[in-house]
Amino acid sequence: MAGVGSGYDLSTTTFSPEGRVYQVEYAVKAVEQSGTVIGVRCVDGVVLAVENLRSTKLLQPNSLRRVFAVDRHIGIAIAGIGPDGRQMVSRARSEAQNFRNVYAEEIPPSLLAERLASYAHVYSLYWHVRPFGCAILIGGWDETSGPCLYIVEPDGSGYKYRAYANGKGRTAVRTALNKLNFDQLTCADAVSEIALMIHQSRDIAKDKPYELEMAWISEVCDRQFARVPMSLISSARQRAELEHQQMEGDASPGADAAEAAGTNVMEES
Amino acid sequence: MFRSQYDTDVTTFSPQGRLLQVEYAMEAVKQGSAVVGVRSSTHVVLATLKRSFSDLAWHQRKIVSIDEHIGVAISGIAADARVLTKRMRDECLQHRFVYGSAMPVSRLVNVIADLCQKCTQRVSRRPYGVGMLIAGVDETGPRLFQTCPSGEAYDLIGMALGSRSQSARTYLERHDEEVSSATREELIRHAVAALRETLASTRDLTLTAENCAIGVVGVGSDTRFHLYEYEEVQPLLDACSLESSPLQSASAGGADPPAADPEATDDATMQDAP
Amino acid sequence: MHSVKLVPCELTTEPIVTGSSVLGVQCADGVVLACDTLASYGSLARFQRVTRFHQPAAGVVIAGGGEYSDLQQLFRITDNVYRQEFCHEDGWELTPRALHQYLSRLLYARRSRLDPLYNTVAVAGKGRFLGMVDMYGTAIETNLVATGIGTLLALPLLRKRWHEGLTMDDGLACLEDCLRVLYYRDCRALRTIQVAKVSDSGETFISEPYDLGNLQWKVAHAVTEKLMI
Repeated sequence: MAGVGSGYDLSTTTFSPEGRVYQVEYAVKAVEQSGTVIGVRCVDGVVLAVENLRSTKLLQPNSLRRVFAVDRHIGIAIAGIGPDGRQMVSRARSEAQNFRNVYAEEIPPSLLAERLASYAHVYSLYWHVRPFGCAILIGGWDETSGPCLYIVEPDGSGYKYRAYANGKGRTAVRTALNKLNFDQLTCADAVSEIALMIHQSRDIAKDKPYELEMAWISEVCDRQFARVPMSLISSARQRAELEHQQMEGDASPGADAAEAAGTNVMEES
Repeated sequence: MFRSQYDTDVTTFSPQGRLLQVEYAMEAVKQGSAVVGVRSSTHVVLATLKRSFSDLAWHQRKIVSIDEHIGVAISGIAADARVLTKRMRDECLQHRFVYGSAMPVSRLVNVIADLCQKCTQRVSRRPYGVGMLIAGVDETGPRLFQTCPSGEAYDLIGMALGSRSQSARTYLERHDEEVSSATREELIRHAVAALRETLASTRDLTLTAENCAIGVVGVGSDTRFHLYEYEEVQPLLDACSLESSPLQSASAGGADPPAADPEATDDATMQDAP
Repeated sequence: MHSVKLVPCELTTEPIVTGSSVLGVQCADGVVLACDTLASYGSLARFQRVTRFHQPAAGVVIAGGGEYSDLQQLFRITDNVYRQEFCHEDGWELTPRALHQYLSRLLYARRSRLDPLYNTVAVAGKGRFLGMVDMYGTAIETNLVATGIGTLLALPLLRKRWHEGLTMDDGLACLEDCLRVLYYRDCRALRTIQVAKVSDSGETFISEPYDLGNLQWKVAHAVTEKLMI
């Protein structure tokens, strides 16, 4: 259980001999364990989606949200530790309001991302605080450049993305995201693509049941933050499950063979 | 016992990205005596088991009322709970002062959850070692929430915290559909039945008017949170002691089941009319 | 040792750019507000076409008189309140009544700090809500609102004309008459006015500025003479 950087990994104020700050890297680990979170910038808006894992059926449906409105034109999705993310969200809300009080204009998402990155960064500098155990996806509508997506990571870096994924299923989803044609992708398309990606990234035998939580800032809803209608989400999910089954069906002989081969190897060894 | 070097303060992540100090604080919640909360489409019921530390001591209170429409059941470090419940009362009063109306339960829960989170990110304060079940009613209907030392808050139809609460959770998960369509009386019986599950291992301990308290809030005539304690709780317990068997056999849409139980016939009169 | 110096300071003691009366009437099918579009600089009719109305959300309109910059600040504050509500998404609705209460707390807090916002505001909203708050935080929910000098000149007229079952159109005509009287008598009034209607269900309409017609100055000399007696 000892960490890779033993001795040098107990505080954010400690560099390891190779020049790494392990505590920040461990915070990133917390992000990678969360349910899959996806953000996609489309031609007519930006979509934020979360694979919202349900640990018990005692949970109220559509609760335990991970996507939040920050201002009328900006939303944030959280990957990682939920409470940490909510803290970022409340900071984002006050930044947005602050900007508006001073400039009487909506805060540009790029500036919000920059300010939140600085905020996150401060928490990676001192021994008496810890870094945020979350990455946040900022989806927004910029007055001049239209829909945009920014990511702020636990180390305090902020990047602009076309599409981004983090959490358990990130590897599979990132591969799938690379195949999208972003010059034509609409928000409506993205919703079904995302549903499929999340469904395919899951290990049906192992993973907990999930809800798809989605919100968008798009032309459809007046460039304002809005939840994607439940009917749209559930039909996208049904389609994804169906499509996935078909693909499984096509691939099943091969999969069986591979499994058989696997057991053979086991026996030999 | 293996001792982790990453578990001494809340500002240290383990290599797996876990916060062990926060997880230990969650353990403190399990040390408290059991509390159960259940919610139907019309009501929320809290049922608690109170401990007494000595024969000369009063039973520790487990339910506090926050505002007219909100009550809270606590498990864990009682002193921490006092801080949080005081804050909750202040928040509700503030909301009434500013907007002239009752505070929405979910908004109150978020305030407390954010407060709890803040204690998990800096060394100067330890996390609150208390879990709470928050029951209330607002414009959106009856609501039940759970807050954790980690700063997470759950919106639930039923939950149990405290020692041996797993069996109560199992009970609630098994009866989730009946619970959501239950009447006020059925809901109280489900809450008591779930609470009773936590007693299973200690034969001699039963629910009595001294060690059990029940809080009810809901729509209609129950918009005011009411705490049943001592002599007031006895009729409710009597109604429930018609035993859980008829309740368990009743299907979701089944009739109210104060079925004839020869031992409890004199108690049957205590049954509240629905 | 560092000693704290208590420096006497003076906060705003009087408004500079001001709006005059705001009138409101609760009708059988909704609420109507009306006021002119003037912001005076002292006795100078400095800004003649500014709106004193604000609609922070569907089904709510606020209108105010008094210091115009404070009024703008009040509008911004209400916008922020509604923006926070937008973000909360918790099913709770900030009703016109709640907003009215909020404004009364805000104004009362400011006056208790001896730094008041120099305004009287009327709040109209769906569900036939009509209320007003003054710069001291006095909050009144009522069927008739008249602020500023309108309290003296318009309120008696409104009381006389108001009856159960008054429609919004009748109410509007009634308010226009009152504004006409105010234009005759109030030296800080203008004939360009704006009206807002909020129906019971929350349909909201704020008119463009328009001029009052049917003005009658023939009797003006008689009024003056009478006053000189």
